Amino acid sequence: MRMRYDVVVVGGGHAGVEAASASARLGASTLLVTPDLGRIGQMSCNPAVGGVAKGTVAREVGALGGVMAPATDASRIHFRMLNRSKGPAVWGPRAQCDRALYPLAVRKLLDDLEHLDLFQEMATELHAGGASFRVAGRGGVSFRARAVVVTAGTFLRGRIHVGGTAAHGAGRAGEGPSVGLAVSLEERGLETARFKTGTPPRIDGRTVDFARCERQDGDRPAHRFSCYTREAPPEQRPCWITWTGPALAGVVERNLARSALYGGEIGGRGPRYCPSIEDKIVRFPKTPRHQVFLEPEGLDTSELYVNGLSTSLPPEVQLEFLRTVPGLEEAKMTKAGYAIEYDYFPPRQLRRTLEVKSVPRLYFAGQINGTTGYEEAAGQGLVAGANAALAVQGRPPFVLERDQAYIGVLVDDLVTKGVDEPYRLFTSRAEFRLLLRQDNAPSRLGPLARDLGLLTPAQTDALDIRLDEEARARAWFRDARMPAAAANKLLRSAKSAEVDRPVRASKLLRRPGIGAHALAEAFPGQRPAFSPDVLATVEIDEKYAGYVRREAERAAKLRSMAEFAIPEDAPYETFVTLSSEAREKLALLRPATLAQAGRVPGVSPADLQNLVMELRRLGASRASPA
Amino acid sequence: MDGRAGRPDTIVALATPPGIGAVAIVRLSGPRAGEIAAGLIGQPAAGRRPGAGGAGRSLPGDDGRERDAGRSGALPGRAGRLRTLVDPRSGEVLDRALVAFFEGPASYTGEDVAEISTHGGYEIPASVVEACAALGARRARPGEFTQRAYLNGKLDLAQAEAVAAAVAANSEKSRVVALHQLERGLSERIAALRERLTGLAAMLVHHIDFPEESDPPVSVSRIAAAARATARDAGRLLTTAPAGELLREGAVAVLAGRPNSGKSSLFNALLGSERAIVSDEAGTTRDAVEAVASVEGLPFRLVDTAGLRRAEGRVERMGVEVARRRLAAADVVLHCREAGAGDGGPDEAAFLASVTVPVIAARTKWDLAPPDSPPPEGEIAVSARRGDGLGALKRALAQLVFGGVVANRAEVPVVTTRRQAAHLATAKEELEGFASALDVGVPPEAASAHVQSAETALEEILGIVAPEEVLDRVFSDFCVGK
Repeated sequence: MRMRYDVVVVGGGHAGVEAASASARLGASTLLVTPDLGRIGQMSCNPAVGGVAKGTVAREVGALGGVMAPATDASRIHFRMLNRSKGPAVWGPRAQCDRALYPLAVRKLLDDLEHLDLFQEMATELHAGGASFRVAGRGGVSFRARAVVVTAGTFLRGRIHVGGTAAHGAGRAGEGPSVGLAVSLEERGLETARFKTGTPPRIDGRTVDFARCERQDGDRPAHRFSCYTREAPPEQRPCWITWTGPALAGVVERNLARSALYGGEIGGRGPRYCPSIEDKIVRFPKTPRHQVFLEPEGLDTSELYVNGLSTSLPPEVQLEFLRTVPGLEEAKMTKAGYAIEYDYFPPRQLRRTLEVKSVPRLYFAGQINGTTGYEEAAGQGLVAGANAALAVQGRPPFVLERDQAYIGVLVDDLVTKGVDEPYRLFTSRAEFRLLLRQDNAPSRLGPLARDLGLLTPAQTDALDIRLDEEARARAWFRDARMPAAAANKLLRSAKSAEVDRPVRASKLLRRPGIGAHALAEAFPGQRPAFSPDVLATVEIDEKYAGYVRREAERAAKLRSMAEFAIPEDAPYETFVTLSSEAREKLALLRPATLAQAGRVPGVSPADLQNLVMELRRLGASRASPA
Repeated sequence: MDGRAGRPDTIVALATPPGIGAVAIVRLSGPRAGEIAAGLIGQPAAGRRPGAGGAGRSLPGDDGRERDAGRSGALPGRAGRLRTLVDPRSGEVLDRALVAFFEGPASYTGEDVAEISTHGGYEIPASVVEACAALGARRARPGEFTQRAYLNGKLDLAQAEAVAAAVAANSEKSRVVALHQLERGLSERIAALRERLTGLAAMLVHHIDFPEESDPPVSVSRIAAAARATARDAGRLLTTAPAGELLREGAVAVLAGRPNSGKSSLFNALLGSERAIVSDEAGTTRDAVEAVASVEGLPFRLVDTAGLRRAEGRVERMGVEVARRRLAAADVVLHCREAGAGDGGPDEAAFLASVTVPVIAARTKWDLAPPDSPPPEGEIAVSARRGDGLGALKRALAQLVFGGVVANRAEVPVVTTRRQAAHLATAKEELEGFASALDVGVPPEAASAHVQSAETALEEILGIVAPEEVLDRVFSDFCVGK
């Protein structure tokens, strides 16, 4: 350990882990400071990674050489590919992890990194002076850094609410809040705002009557999150599904006044997509029942996460409503659900590198930017950590565009549009969801990561193998001809017109109802073995070629706008052909490109057109001496 | 100067037609609107009382009782007050006028706006504009007030187009349609279509983003049906486009017929007192006369082949040629034949056969026909001289060309520009493409590219950028949240 580093990362959650790892992989001397080294990579809420869109982010983190993907593979005890019944373009891998195994896997991956040190300390002060920062901790230790990444999660002035009365400062259940750092950052003129989020209670699985629940087994885990390594997953566990009913609604309604959320105790805004059970009952009174997932927390524990029932009602009310749910009549609650409110920094104060606009080389990532979710945090951490290292190394920044990655959509949304509720990714936030898929993450982002130096030598080798496999698969589907008899068997099952001569595999693939996997399986004789990801990639690119092309064209159009750089000091106040609202918003945000300007709320296409003209005029007048 | 060096400048223009009407409105918009208007308000310089100089005007209300109200620089509010306007350069009284000030953004343009209602005519309003210019206002370019209103979000693009259409309206119906559009009639219809697309997108999102939710998944066939219904409604609105264009441009009615068949008389009779502008196609061709007329409250451009150079002796041939050329642009042909004339021979028959737009057969000079003789079958008998049958002819013209619009009541929105129609047609095609793609098994997530294009098309009609409304819809329509 030393006292000076290129990059110091404050916080050891999912954002901090990726930031530290990315920075170290790029060769910058990196220190990760966190209050409890035993809790690095802690899954504070549900121990699950992925889902629709979020799973693609986890894959992207993996393709960029990050920690989340292999750590999930190593600790997952239940895996499902969501949207399996739909086209592979919207498949979303989701894993339930062992709460204890995941942090161990993370720690192991971090320990393997040459340029990374870890240190246990709660950072309470941040000072910027000259070319370096000083990060000081509660214990009196202080470090110098040329760049700092702050990933303090919900620890900034966090307040936990269990029921209408109990409120105490905390970061997560059982941990203390970080007030000093918040103050330290505010003193630098940074604006803060407040959000809230909730968690459900946990119960003892030994007290659940599973006969009254529906069992949901995971898929056989042929798919994985990691793009470059193959981890052996531990033993698999099922999830259980049960439902709320009128009795639960009655309990909640009777006790609404005692809810921190509804009793007026919490002021901040909460996410709509992860509503508390109070929210669901109040906002959807006509919905007779709500789904509840009982999800395993780990192999060595019988604790279950009661997904769908997050709440801020008092513990005794939580127990009362839990026991109205089929299967939970005798359930023992092991941990009460709670709501937490915390500070975040409205992310429009950041650049697309996640650098704070007003403080060069200070980066923010994760929940302090107003997001929710491990995957969102991890994606930002990777971007912030990589850029911190690149800045120190004097290299150009690393910015992912909206047509390159969900991470690009995420970061651009945050810094351009800001947030008014905890931000979570959805496929609908992306304009190019046919391009941004979980299957093509390695070929989409791998080469970029390799060229940047974000991949370890082992990862680079694995990438080359994957790229080679993809090329072989494309060639095979292009060239292989399937005998009519075999083809017709497939076509009949897909209710598609039959053929009378051998037909190219790629042509068959374009028929509705015929998948790449089934096609390869049905091929007589020597059958090539391609991984499911590669098969999905080939299938989508072939089957929806027209739509993929359409998206690619739209993306190219956007690209030209994304390459139209706007000077940071553009005199918006003089651009009189813009609406006054556009002038004001643009002057405040100072977008880096025309594409970003177009996404600023309140900027119309007419404004954009006029902006181009104003900038051209400005360019001409600047170029020619007055 | 255009104000480009600093804040937006202040513009001034006469907002009412020059020379017409008892009152004229001079409008100022921009940061200095109030200041400039206030600069005109004041006491007349000694010895320069109105009437003493050359103007010789007497000013209403200038009886001393209100003299205090005319004190220099006192700017009234939105309600407006009578003020004495004085030329700041000469001190000469310009007028006694109603001055109102609208502080931005609650104004027509969204900027500070001052409106000065002066006495009408040419002289006074022009001198007030002049004085405003002397105080630093720039003369507005055509449409600049509306442009500012659009840029400041006071009007959407369809509304801005309606402003232009209302100003240029050449008939009662055009004006009503334009004003309805200005009142967001069309915008609301487009917005309603867009809202349905948002609903469609919400179904898609629910289908894709929330696979584990307890609400039953939205079926693909339901999504396709919703898309088709929306496409049908877009198509219905699109059917008003031809009429809308006619309303804006005026329907071209070509009067055809042999020389001496009464075309010119009928042309003049149709123009009658409703005659608006007569132009003989300046600069293009001199072989036809065109005039704009409001027929039954609908805009027509009457084209007469009268005024041909008869001296050249090629009249008949030319007449047919001209009519042919004009026919390409015709929306309706008024075929004239005078009372007692025969069927016109092969030339005329060939001409009529080549006409592809509706034809009205007019039997002209009916005053010359034997009294009480019935008009020929399928023809309208008119007498330009007596006025007989003109009403029936006008009604036939209106009905034949504007049938749908005439039947429509004022509140039915009409697509009035090619731009609107083109975008609307794109939206309709994309929605149909989306539904067909779903039918053949293309997954919604791929086919949704069509919906995106349809949405963009509708947004372009209104000139807006889509905010993220889809998720809002999802969260209000479905209970999601595992």
